Amino acid sequence: MENKEKTLVHDATICTGCMRCMTTCSTYNFGSTSFTKSRIQIVRHEGHALTRMDEVDELIFQPMICQQCDKPRCQEFCPAHAIDRNPKTNAMVINYDRCIGCRMCMAVCPFGAMRYDTKRHKVFKCELCEGDPQCVKLCPQEALQFLSKDVANSPKINALSQRLIEAQRSPEVEVKTNVGA
Amino acid sequence: MLVPNGYAGKVVYIDLTKPEAKVVTTDRFFKDYNIDPRLWLGGDGFIAKVLWKDITKSIDPLSPENEVVIATGPWTGTAAPQSGRAMLGCVSPETTGYSSGSLGWYFPAMLKYAGYDVVIVRGKAAKPTYVFIDDDEITFHDASKLWGKETGETTKALRAACGERFDGEVRVLTIAPAAENLVLYSPPCGDGTSCPGRSGGGTVMASKNLKAIAVRGTGEIPIYDPKGLVDASYRAVKKFQEEEPTLKIWKEEGGTTDLSVTAQWPMTGHNLGVNRAKADVPHLRNAGCLNCHAPCYHWLQLKGGKYNGLRQLGGHMTYITTSLRNLGFEEFDDWIYYERLTQELGLDPASFSMAFSYAVDLFMKGILTTETTDGLVLRRADGELVWEVARRVAHRQGKFGNLLADGVAKMAKALGPEAEAIMPQTVKDKPSIQRDSKLQALMWSFGALTNPRGGDWLRVHNVWELAFLPENRDTYPKFIGMTNLELYKICTERLDMPIELKKKIFGDPPVTDANWVKNTNGKALFTVWTENFVALFNDLVTCMFGAATQFMMVGFGPTTYAENLNKVTGWGVTYDELMKVGERTLTLQRLFNYRNKGWDIKQDKFQDKAAYEPGTVGIYRNKIVPWEQILKEYYELRGWTPQGIPTKAKLHELKLDDAADELKLTV
Repeated sequence: MENKEKTLVHDATICTGCMRCMTTCSTYNFGSTSFTKSRIQIVRHEGHALTRMDEVDELIFQPMICQQCDKPRCQEFCPAHAIDRNPKTNAMVINYDRCIGCRMCMAVCPFGAMRYDTKRHKVFKCELCEGDPQCVKLCPQEALQFLSKDVANSPKINALSQRLIEAQRSPEVEVKTNVGA
Repeated sequence: MLVPNGYAGKVVYIDLTKPEAKVVTTDRFFKDYNIDPRLWLGGDGFIAKVLWKDITKSIDPLSPENEVVIATGPWTGTAAPQSGRAMLGCVSPETTGYSSGSLGWYFPAMLKYAGYDVVIVRGKAAKPTYVFIDDDEITFHDASKLWGKETGETTKALRAACGERFDGEVRVLTIAPAAENLVLYSPPCGDGTSCPGRSGGGTVMASKNLKAIAVRGTGEIPIYDPKGLVDASYRAVKKFQEEEPTLKIWKEEGGTTDLSVTAQWPMTGHNLGVNRAKADVPHLRNAGCLNCHAPCYHWLQLKGGKYNGLRQLGGHMTYITTSLRNLGFEEFDDWIYYERLTQELGLDPASFSMAFSYAVDLFMKGILTTETTDGLVLRRADGELVWEVARRVAHRQGKFGNLLADGVAKMAKALGPEAEAIMPQTVKDKPSIQRDSKLQALMWSFGALTNPRGGDWLRVHNVWELAFLPENRDTYPKFIGMTNLELYKICTERLDMPIELKKKIFGDPPVTDANWVKNTNGKALFTVWTENFVALFNDLVTCMFGAATQFMMVGFGPTTYAENLNKVTGWGVTYDELMKVGERTLTLQRLFNYRNKGWDIKQDKFQDKAAYEPGTVGIYRNKIVPWEQILKEYYELRGWTPQGIPTKAKLHELKLDDAADELKLTV
């Protein structure tokens, strides 16, 4: 299928925070497993483990992913013109012949999606695995999806719509649909 | 020898007496302990090797001579499925023999990303101490102000003290008040979430004045065939999701437990999910350890009632079973509060609830009175009472707190023959999980007899009998839209076991039905296979909540382990080779107990009288279980003497000739 205009979409209501996307990404793209070398980052808010019993707590898994922006600031600010769009996959990719490791892209990316490899002294980012994102393929809960940008919001719209429907129902009617937190 | 792929590359020997952290290469560690990694893998195998060499006689488990060994394996932290686990071992304060427990969540993986395969803690610190492993830098810190603090608060304080830059960057393994007060069965807790239960490791850490270990790791684990591993991991999980019939429970029920309990909550006969909905306990989401496709943590919130607003990440089998059977709880609220409270206090839920339950029985018989209970009137199904007792035990308050803090076996001894006559199922001074566990399932109880770490069920939690309890016939299969026979037919076909072995266990052709469940045929052999298999995934280290016969009917077997492990290490191990690794580990644990404690057939006995009397529930109702006969068959299958000692020939087969020589075995 044509990959142009597709993007990674994460559904926080079904993500179990297993970090398999991160171990997969680093292993597939770097050849070794780590959290730091993963191009997708899931930030974990594990309040449950950090509170006394009388405190309110939370458990949230928030992904920080490259959005493959239409007007990418990383590209705009790169002094070495080292970031180009791959026309086949729509991903912004780094030209390592040009990258000078200045980390300007890290400074300007609003999603924190650029990362730095201290061994190669170059930045790295999600390049959508040549159009077959391994994190999506291996996500055991299908919380990560690879969708066309025009329908990327559909899972969210669907979940939110069900909440609205529930809100409109009278309390006597049993609600069977669980859309998560 | 180079360190194989899949290992982080370093091992740290921590001497708290000096204090000093000596970092060696994993290669050096292999030489120090005479380890061929392909024969031992990691985890429980490494712990067995370390304790075998370092602790050569019977010791006081709470003396500085004892060691705490945290061992990951080549599986840990990689892209293989369910890679979040490590083992923690020591000499058990409860049994005084070999002990280890599995822990997950994110401490183990972070330890490997920091570069360490194994942490060995020795000696005793002069004052309360915590150790911070920050990649290459290992530092010792005063923990006096943290001493006495509960699990969550300690974890939070340490993450801040270690300079965490984003949530979850620093991982903390901490002890809690129960350990500090030397309650004999206290595990430490990883990130307030996952504890190496039943190990007593927290108590040993406390005896060393070690409050916690914090770790931050930014490094990488080398992989032999990275893309091959991603592919193998992908295929393994896909197959699991297609073939495992019990997966539905994990996602939907909001409680991870015995299949029979989940499918039929005793108070109403409905399944657990229906009860949860009735109790109005929102199930917010599932969560899991690293790379878990079958996440067993349920994020639950209490609405209204005494504990309004309390959230707990759990819903685990041990808590639900013990609260139902031992504490007599019927309310969801009590069950969840209990889970959280025991985690915060550092009380092993099985050992604690069994001690409580035993105390109630003793109280009803008049053996304990309000004088010995410091004024408490004991009964089941009373949450407030349990919370009060739990706090007294964790802080060793009064006569009663101290009595229960020593556990079931010491209670029985202290209270005399009348008390001993009604003690619950206990082996090697360690109680099982539930007061009426006897004969629920033959292998389940039998596994407690032969378990090197004492009488708990986790080295043989074989659900192949539990799913088919005659009393709950068809409840579980019905829950997933099948009959018993249909369920067993597909599971017998799919179980990752050579057909010849299946014929020996289930008959030729292999058939699993009510007759098989009720009989003793094949049970000793299935126990041997299961024990070896459990030891194997504790060596890798991966999770029992994904493994064949252990909570899962089909799950992952040695074939899947071999496929993924070979991509990690590049070794080319086979099914048989891996099963031998498990057998080797279990055998060395057995020898450790034999050499240091003299344990043999004499200790493969239930300390409770009831086990040798006709059963009152389950498949042995009104019948006596032929324990001796099964044990004899088991020893023969294992290649052990009638006294339960591994023979010289068996040790040679397992490449354990060194141990045979040391023990001067002639047979």
